[in-house]
Amino acid sequence: MVTKTEETQLNQLENQVENGGGGVWEYLCLVRKLKVRRSEIVLKHGLSILNDSGKRSALGPDEWTLYEQVAIAAMDCQSLGVAQNCIKALQKKFPESKRVGKLEALLLEAKGMWEEAEKAYSSLLEDNPLDQVIHKRKVAMAKAQGKPSLAIEHLNKYLEVFMADHDAWRELAEIYVSLQMYKQAAFCYEELILTQPTLPLYHLAYADVLYTMGGLENLIAARKYYAATIDLTGGKSTRALLGICLCGSAIAQLSKGRNKEDKDMAAPELQSLAATALEREYKQKAPAKLNLLTSALRNLKIS
Amino acid sequence: MNLGFVVGVFGVLILSHAAYSTIQYRGLLKIMEEEFSRPPINVILELIIGLALCMWAALTFPGKFLSIHPDSDENRTVSLPDNSDFMIFNHRGRLFPPEIDMKF
Repeated sequence: MVTKTEETQLNQLENQVENGGGGVWEYLCLVRKLKVRRSEIVLKHGLSILNDSGKRSALGPDEWTLYEQVAIAAMDCQSLGVAQNCIKALQKKFPESKRVGKLEALLLEAKGMWEEAEKAYSSLLEDNPLDQVIHKRKVAMAKAQGKPSLAIEHLNKYLEVFMADHDAWRELAEIYVSLQMYKQAAFCYEELILTQPTLPLYHLAYADVLYTMGGLENLIAARKYYAATIDLTGGKSTRALLGICLCGSAIAQLSKGRNKEDKDMAAPELQSLAATALEREYKQKAPAKLNLLTSALRNLKIS
Repeated sequence: MNLGFVVGVFGVLILSHAAYSTIQYRGLLKIMEEEFSRPPINVILELIIGLALCMWAALTFPGKFLSIHPDSDENRTVSLPDNSDFMIFNHRGRLFPPEIDMKF
């Protein structure tokens, strides 16, 4: 979970590093801690540290973590030679290491040699059948080869054993959404909300999926979850505010033919409140686009 | 040591002095065989001063208080971590090798 202060700190360090100021090591540590994916910058500056033997020895035992980080960033930027050299250095230092074995298999994956990578992962799994990272890499390989159904199968088997892994549930939900299997995606997001109810981003994603599914009960539930997101973020989530307006107009459209009892009473107040909040936020942040917003909202209310 | 710590020590000393005076006062009353209803006025004043000093020190000494609102700037989640366990290298960035020729 990246908080706002951490994000500003990350951006500040990134600017500093890119413009030639110091602080490269702090930036790399922060990227590792927050688990963000900034491969080009990590590669460029990590290599500058590694190539300079003075700076490299100043790191002490952290040097090997840096090798690992730079190797993965190099694979992401498709600099496979650099990755190979980093892994060779790591192998020299730590022969017979499982972690280095995983990196080698990762390199095979990055090169696109799927069968060899599969064999490497299976042999690693024989030694340690309960290794979470390797199971997840098999899912990632299935995803990379364009076989989402195989990825789903592997991920389901993994989640039967490791039910508490949030990242895996999130990945499964995203794969389902990409395949348009929205009911299953909704189930995954429900699991996520159950385990981490204070994270507004899960409520938001769940509401999005419900809104996409459509149908009156789903729209009412979606509106509830957008409202929960707004509650949890203190009104700062523009997407949730827009979601409430859209849900409100969609519900009004669907329930036009029904009798008055089914109409929910909260609708008009909630929608107008969300609309005023949106207008206020647009006035503050993007006053040029304000009239776009007002015309869009007007269309929603009419239709 | 910073001011908060000094004031805190001072407040604790005043409170202990007030306690000692009350005990002495009780002993005096026992000799004079009178009832002990409440400590003398100066001890009460001392107690109030000691309370104020200790409270001020307790609030200043620990330093910056952390926010507990879930939507304050410190605690607000802006984005979830990119799932690096499921990272694939098969993306479109593969066709854009980095401009600088990296050597290692």
